[in-house]
Amino acid sequence: MLKAQNLVKKFNDNEVLSGISFEIIKGQVLAVIGPSGSGKSTMLRCLNLLERLDGGCVEVEGEVMVRTDDNGNVIYAPEADLRRIRLRFGLVFQNFNLFPHLSVMQNITEAPIRVAGLKPEEAKELALGLLEKMGLSDKAEAYPYQLSGGQSQRVAIARALAMKPDILFFDEPTSALDPELTGEVLKVIRMLAQEHMTMVVVTHEMAFAKEVADRVIFMDKGLIVEEGSPEEIFNNPNNERTKAFLNVLKSY
Amino acid sequence: MLEYAGGLINLLSSGAVTTIQIFFLTLIFSLPLGMVIAFGRMSKKKWVREIFKLYILIMRGTPLLLQLMFVYFAPYYWIGLNWDRFIAAIVAFSLNYAAYFAEIYRGGIESIPQGQYEAAQVLGFTKTQTFVRIILPQVIKRVLPPISNEVITLVKDTALVQTLGVSELFRVAKNESSRIFSTSPLAVAGIYYLVMNWLVTKALHAMEKRLSYYK
Repeated sequence: MLKAQNLVKKFNDNEVLSGISFEIIKGQVLAVIGPSGSGKSTMLRCLNLLERLDGGCVEVEGEVMVRTDDNGNVIYAPEADLRRIRLRFGLVFQNFNLFPHLSVMQNITEAPIRVAGLKPEEAKELALGLLEKMGLSDKAEAYPYQLSGGQSQRVAIARALAMKPDILFFDEPTSALDPELTGEVLKVIRMLAQEHMTMVVVTHEMAFAKEVADRVIFMDKGLIVEEGSPEEIFNNPNNERTKAFLNVLKSY
Repeated sequence: MLEYAGGLINLLSSGAVTTIQIFFLTLIFSLPLGMVIAFGRMSKKKWVREIFKLYILIMRGTPLLLQLMFVYFAPYYWIGLNWDRFIAAIVAFSLNYAAYFAEIYRGGIESIPQGQYEAAQVLGFTKTQTFVRIILPQVIKRVLPPISNEVITLVKDTALVQTLGVSELFRVAKNESSRIFSTSPLAVAGIYYLVMNWLVTKALHAMEKRLSYYK
């Protein structure tokens, strides 16, 4: 579905991604784990075009989003193509980033109406369906400030799903939540996994990654250190750094 | 006495109409112009930014009274153009107030978290849609209190226009005061300003209240 090769990203002199390659497979959940500052979020932001790469190549179902020529020049597809490709992605942020001046309903329907060109009634119907799925049917007319963190994140997921993305990215979706609220968000992601939604989840929830992911990537210092099935990574890691990272987590 | 009071009120009301015209025309031109200046001030191009910075510096750094006289008299001294005092006043006021509004807008726009832009971008909104539908409504709520301050000041600043000989409220009151050798016309004019600002304050509060449905 999506193929990334040799991604490089620098912030001034600081290399955050040092040449990572991976593939996102349709219908699968890819979990990305690793210590803070390992480049997980940056990788996600680059794929979603919130940051521009300094090297590498990304293909989405055979269509080139960005490539690097022999001289090291990074060439992005024309803006119109990028817009189209971007619409195949959904991104759920750590801090939700709901629009505070719009109701829950409007948060979800705004993009389908303005961007996808749905009729307001269609968008509303779509939103009601998604809210029901998220267990938030009674919150349609609420405003973001009236929601708990867990509810906000579920609205954010509904908002992303309303654009019917081919791949849904999660950037540490539970990191800003109180522990007792992470469960309700993870439950929703688990449900989407059962529906074979293609997802990439950057997460610190190891138990969850182990349970839901089809494949796990362990990143450290801008590199993919280890990649494999959850069993391989969590029960039988080959790499010393993976072992050390998982051991530190176990000791908590 | 009562007869005279009626005459005074009539007289001052005609001046107040001019004052109200200056007030509204200035707002109509300076509020949108301020947005243009704010964008220029935040331009990605350094030379554009510098030009607008200089503009704001001049407008906020020199007396409005001086600007008013400059705008009216400069064309006459330069090219002999003798233009309408009222129009000159509106131009000078709009240029000046737009600079203040621009800085308020800029503060408002820069206070919107980056995440709002990113969320809009990821959902596929164009830059224009993002600004008009996501950013601007939030900016309006944030800038309303500082804008209110400027609007209240504007009501009182209109009195400066009398230096160009425009018969607005203050000039009418001042002339009448000299004529009858009494300060009562000035006191009544003060009440006029007070009432205007009371109404302005009420209107602005109503707007703030309308936007208080979210946090």
